[in-house]
Amino acid sequence: MRLNPLTIKKIKRFRSIRRGYYSFIILTLMILASLFAEALVNNRALVVRHGERYYCPVYGRMNPGKVFGLDYDYETNYRQLQKRFKEEGRGNWVLMPPVPYNAYENDLREDRFPPFPPSFAEKHYLGTDNVGRDILARLIYGFRIAIGFSLLLLLFDFGIGISIGSAMGYFGGKFDLFFQRIIEIWSNVPFLYVIIIISSVVVPGFITLIIIMAFFGWIGMTWTIRTVTYKEKSREYVLAAKALGASDSRIVFRHIIPNTISVIVTYAPFAVSGGIVAITSLDYLGFGLAPPTPSWGELLQQAWTHMDSWWIGASVIGAMTITLIAVTFIGEAVREAFDPKMYTTYE
Amino acid sequence: MPEPKQQENYLLETRDLKVHFPVYGGVFRRKTGKVYAVDGVSLKVSAGKTLGLVGESGCGKTTVGRAVLRLYELSGGEVIFEGKNISGMPESEIRPLRRNMQMVFQDPFESLDARQTVGDILEEPLIIHEIGSRSTRRKDVENLLLRVGMPESAITRFPHEFSGGQRQRIGIARAIALKPRLIVCDEPVSALDVSIQSQILNLLLDLQSEMNLTYLFIAHDLSVVKHISDHIAVMYLGKIVEYTDADSVYKNPFHPYTQALISAIPVPDPSVRKQKMVLHGDVPSPLSPPPGCRFHTRCPFAFGRCRSEEPDLLRAPGTECEDHLVACHLVNSEK
Ligand SMILES: Nc1ncnc2c1ncn2[C@@H]1O[C@H](COP(=O)(O)OP(=O)(O)O)[C@@H](O)[C@H]1O
Ligand SMILES: [Mg+2]
Repeated sequence: MRLNPLTIKKIKRFRSIRRGYYSFIILTLMILASLFAEALVNNRALVVRHGERYYCPVYGRMNPGKVFGLDYDYETNYRQLQKRFKEEGRGNWVLMPPVPYNAYENDLREDRFPPFPPSFAEKHYLGTDNVGRDILARLIYGFRIAIGFSLLLLLFDFGIGISIGSAMGYFGGKFDLFFQRIIEIWSNVPFLYVIIIISSVVVPGFITLIIIMAFFGWIGMTWTIRTVTYKEKSREYVLAAKALGASDSRIVFRHIIPNTISVIVTYAPFAVSGGIVAITSLDYLGFGLAPPTPSWGELLQQAWTHMDSWWIGASVIGAMTITLIAVTFIGEAVREAFDPKMYTTYE
Repeated sequence: MPEPKQQENYLLETRDLKVHFPVYGGVFRRKTGKVYAVDGVSLKVSAGKTLGLVGESGCGKTTVGRAVLRLYELSGGEVIFEGKNISGMPESEIRPLRRNMQMVFQDPFESLDARQTVGDILEEPLIIHEIGSRSTRRKDVENLLLRVGMPESAITRFPHEFSGGQRQRIGIARAIALKPRLIVCDEPVSALDVSIQSQILNLLLDLQSEMNLTYLFIAHDLSVVKHISDHIAVMYLGKIVEYTDADSVYKNPFHPYTQALISAIPVPDPSVRKQKMVLHGDVPSPLSPPPGCRFHTRCPFAFGRCRSEEPDLLRAPGTECEDHLVACHLVNSEK
């Protein structure tokens, strides 16, 4: 299949908008990095050489301490193992990930209380939170959860929005009226209260939270798609398809939806940033994912209660700012690339 | 040539066809009125012939064309296609009939889906009507392109890569893909450069003789339909005002509106001085058409009766032509 030259043009235009394009590259790298977070941030070693054998604990099985000649049966502490191998000097070695901590692990000291400030020597590059968990580790895993959450939420919202919205716009009439009323009622339900009520009864899991959010989030996309469908439907190419004898589903799926793609694509980045903000604020308020899930909202909350530990707030606010600015730049560039007539200002 | 009189010989017939569009207004979006776009149109088109439908823009020609193909809901009257009354048929029964009735649209930019390749556009009718297999369809599409004078390589290209004339060729190829009997050509050349218009008209004429097509050919000026039509119906504000064969329209126009349309055709030879008849004023709104003869507001010959009584479409007096019908009190009272 050949890519529509109009699409190629849009992609070219997107690439020519530097700010958005670089943000896109950065965000993509961030997402990719977060997908391999286990290899970057982990208290399990990347590679262990013991005797003649090599181990890869990051993506492998759990190795009890006995495997490496230690005297315990629980999971090996690779940081200690690394030190020990070094002291022994017998050619065994341990290669740790850049951040040798797990997002859940409390790195406690005997003489001090967390939070610990950033320290390169201890490899807590951004310090620890108030229970001694590495902040960088929690930022990265928290990012993965937030972005995964947003993308999945986007899939739900857009899926529902596109199906109901295009049906409303295409069929119109009673169906349209019915859903218009539903939407009016729906959008008056105080979303936050519902979440608070639900999460006071059950602790919502990842998927539950997405379903609850999608329960309210589908409205925006539905309304947008309804409007574009309504517009597309009255265009002549649709009439031409009808004149050929095309069925309604053929017209909707083969003609109308492909012609609304640019609207859908334009909305996607803003939906992603909306999703990140939503999960972060819910976590901040304590109605989001159950602790100890790594979460930016929870870090933000810690920052608020531990103002003197500036590194907590600085890290999470910095991470959020970078992410949201990148997403916004992407959104802006996508919008400009897809619909230059409407948004370009001529100088 | 004697006109066939039997009903079966008409491929398409409309009887008192009406299409009224509701108008919504006010805070509650209530129905506040109607656009009387087509208000009682009776036409007959014989198989293999061309009926030209002429009138100023806004007079309801497109609506007639689309109503005939059941693309618009009818508000009244009947459409008889291939001897069957298709006016009340549900869409599921119409769908198979669409193989035999097709449309060429006025705007070759709007009527092709910009997201489809030309190949997809031309294959679509074959897929919808389950004709052939993937490989034979591909061959069919190539043949269609060649038939309308387009290169085979167009198959993988997109509509916007072509000029208006080429796009209209694609539109025509799509219309003939199913080998229909009737094609409604809705001002197929109005959007094109004058230099290209005759090429497209010739293509349509060639296809007609080759495939024995019947055309309902819509145009807003008489010069375009002159060469292509067997019969001509002149439309004004939702009604037919004159119906006759293509020659009589020029030789012997009865209705003042037809006369005005003819005098609007530019004459190539400036030495031929025509008596110009210029119409004043605008076409009245089809929301509230004037009472009596709809043309009386602009007719230089209007008299009392024209303002109150609607003229019927009647056999014109004193013509040698068998069916020359005119709806004008002035003409019809001369009997
Ligand atoms: N879908 C529609 N809804 C409401 N009014 C319409 C619609 N289509 C056409 N009309 C009105 O009906 C009248 C006839 O339109 P049309 O058939 O397009 O005229 P023509 O093709 O002769 O220019 C016009 O006044 C137009 O505004
Ligand atoms: Mg028209």
